[in-house]
Amino acid sequence: MAAEPEEQENQLSEAQIAVHWREEETYPPPDSLIGQANAADPAIIERFGEDHFPDCFTEYADLLTWDTPWDTVLDTSRPPFWKWFVGGRLNASYNCVDRHLATSRNKAAFIWVPEPEDQATQTITYQELYRKVNEFAALLQDYCGLATGDRITFHLPMVPELPVAMLACARLGVIHSEVFGGFSGTACGDRIADSGSRILITMDSYYRGGTLVDHKVKADEAIEAARKLGQEVDKVLVWRRTPGQYASKSPMVEGRDVFVDEILGDYRGKSVPPVSMPAEAPLFLMYSSGTTGRPKGCEHSTGGYLSYVAGTSKYHLDIHPEDTYWCAADIGWITGHSYIVYGPLLLGTTSVLYEGVPVYPDAGRCWRIAERLGVNIFHTAPTTIRMLRKVGPEEPRKYDYQFKVMTTVGEPIEPEVWRWYYQEVGKGRAAIVDTWWLTETGGFLGTTLPALQPMKPGSCGPGALGIHPVIYDEDRNTVEAGSGRAGNICIRNPWPGVLQTIWGQPERFVDVYYRKYCADPDSKDWHDWPFLCGDGAVQAADGYYRILGRIDDVINVAGHRLGTKEIESAALTVEEIAEAAAVPAVDEIRGRVPELYVALKPGLRAGPDIEQKVTAAIEREIGKIARPARVWIVPDMPKTRSGKIMRRVIAGISNFTDVGDISTLANPEIVDEIRHFVQGDKLAKGEVPRELSPQEAEEIRNFGKTE
Amino acid sequence: MTREYLVGETSVLLAQLQAAATDDVRAHEVALLRREAEDTPPAALGTVAARALRVADTLCRDSLDRGDAQAFSRQCACAADLLQFCTCAQLIHEG
Repeated sequence: MAAEPEEQENQLSEAQIAVHWREEETYPPPDSLIGQANAADPAIIERFGEDHFPDCFTEYADLLTWDTPWDTVLDTSRPPFWKWFVGGRLNASYNCVDRHLATSRNKAAFIWVPEPEDQATQTITYQELYRKVNEFAALLQDYCGLATGDRITFHLPMVPELPVAMLACARLGVIHSEVFGGFSGTACGDRIADSGSRILITMDSYYRGGTLVDHKVKADEAIEAARKLGQEVDKVLVWRRTPGQYASKSPMVEGRDVFVDEILGDYRGKSVPPVSMPAEAPLFLMYSSGTTGRPKGCEHSTGGYLSYVAGTSKYHLDIHPEDTYWCAADIGWITGHSYIVYGPLLLGTTSVLYEGVPVYPDAGRCWRIAERLGVNIFHTAPTTIRMLRKVGPEEPRKYDYQFKVMTTVGEPIEPEVWRWYYQEVGKGRAAIVDTWWLTETGGFLGTTLPALQPMKPGSCGPGALGIHPVIYDEDRNTVEAGSGRAGNICIRNPWPGVLQTIWGQPERFVDVYYRKYCADPDSKDWHDWPFLCGDGAVQAADGYYRILGRIDDVINVAGHRLGTKEIESAALTVEEIAEAAAVPAVDEIRGRVPELYVALKPGLRAGPDIEQKVTAAIEREIGKIARPARVWIVPDMPKTRSGKIMRRVIAGISNFTDVGDISTLANPEIVDEIRHFVQGDKLAKGEVPRELSPQEAEEIRNFGKTE
Repeated sequence: MTREYLVGETSVLLAQLQAAATDDVRAHEVALLRREAEDTPPAALGTVAARALRVADTLCRDSLDRGDAQAFSRQCACAADLLQFCTCAQLIHEG
């Protein structure tokens, strides 16, 4: 017997949000940590409470040296384009390097560990870093003609030349954009074009997994890809991993390519005064991956971002100047920018850089590095922890090192893996700081203070200092702590580390991060502009958050969260399919069902055999739960001029609702054609859905906006 | 952050597999998968990885059929790296 509509709606709602997980035991902070921690007094939690917002963040800003003090802590006059420490001026390079010279000139800023174990470790003191940064800044200014506000792209592996280049740009007020060294030349070219860079810095080669990888070859691909998008690159600066020895097969292009080691000598001993930048000036762009259409360049500020990474490094990572800290991530990601380069250098500590693969040549490599260099803070991702555990579960026991803090970053860690990390890697004596945050957020959002708050396997902790999260359901109702229900985690307040905008795409910035839960688009009150993080989460009664993963484009089918991209990707395994787009259709029984729109490769004809192949591929790749209710073979997809498929338009067609504004489409005529085909077929088969509730209609209207 | 890391590492491992391919058609297929990995939201990375492992399997079998032990060994190593990473990253499930 069918349930009454209201009862059924409640059942569906519960099914959609119910999450089954066991509450884990907590572990107290180690005694040895408590005595020495930067955040040892519980009063700090009160100081960063909501009553003290936004002034609490001046405690972070005070960790920096300012040329001119700020006059306004937070300017909210143009939401959600927040401005922090307005009126203040500073230079990032000065703060990371120059100011440490008086007390720590000959202290190691970086210790670089090459992947081949027979190659010597390279130590770079703060004095050497100062010289290298100044000389390279002089080269960028003179040879490349770069000036404040210009953009530059790096495609560099994990070598010391990368932080040197970042700091040299920061010295000049040039906006740097590092593309992960392992990415293809084409991916790099897309980012060069989007940022409008005319200079590319690369390297001839680097070691990975025991192989010397030819890297310069990717520069040629990148320049070609950027050219196709209308961006010319004038100069390519090529570092040689071993100066004087070129290890790439790619020929140098005369007039464009130059070996850095051949021209850097011209700038020996040169000093470049640090440019005093406004606090809100962009410091760098960090492109996020996995977006269709135009790349998404997250723009991070100078004053706000640096304050935030300095503060979170000090209190959450518990970094002291005398520590030896190793974040085994890549500088090509935001973790590397925030917690390998800027955060540790701002605090004047010693940071380890490792070139290669953590399990090369064997499972003991990480622990040998830790033992030899005396690393006492270790920072890595759950994927790496799982790998280290898999290849050498007892390996840490063989090495004499002792961590005080171990961090895990970026994805939920299973309690079982957490316990191995704690017992084996940390030897039961180190605090684990589980952190949750995003490229867009600059620094940690959810985590613990290692000496003050207990650890709980699988949960990142409460909000970081000064961060006030909230979990909303689809209808903007708050999901209460301890309810066992999941929802979309948002941050209620602005914070200094948050991205300023998406480079060149301010509307997309508002749409992706703020539109969904904005209470009033005309409001100047920050309370009305919660930041949508894009992750699902549950909050336990003790206030700790457990992150469940991305919410982007999820279709809830009877409680199962299906990623539309997963369905589309499965459909694309069918040889005949050129494009695919999955959208939700309202269904009386299952809440939502996926409908799939596919376009065929040129010259092929639609037929039931292809529909069956698509359905079979989805069942094979994902499972029967993802089986689409209908597969619509259409002549083309409605697309923007940049080629993005407008899923909200086809979602509107499937649900017989308004498709919204189609004036920006490259092919608006296709909308009527698809509507006629799809709705005509549904009408003929009696599959017209009931009229949607206002909430359902809004969900369909907003579908795909998180892309 | 890890979303980016997973995309990046998958891209690197596919570049290695592409370099180990002895057949232009398969190499092109891996290149397309690499591009897809770089462009696809991480939610779909698992299916890209699964398809790449199938291509790796085909590469290994082809090399074996040809009796090309050197290529087989190189491709097996790449496939093993890819499988290990994807398993640890929970992009695919073991077994």
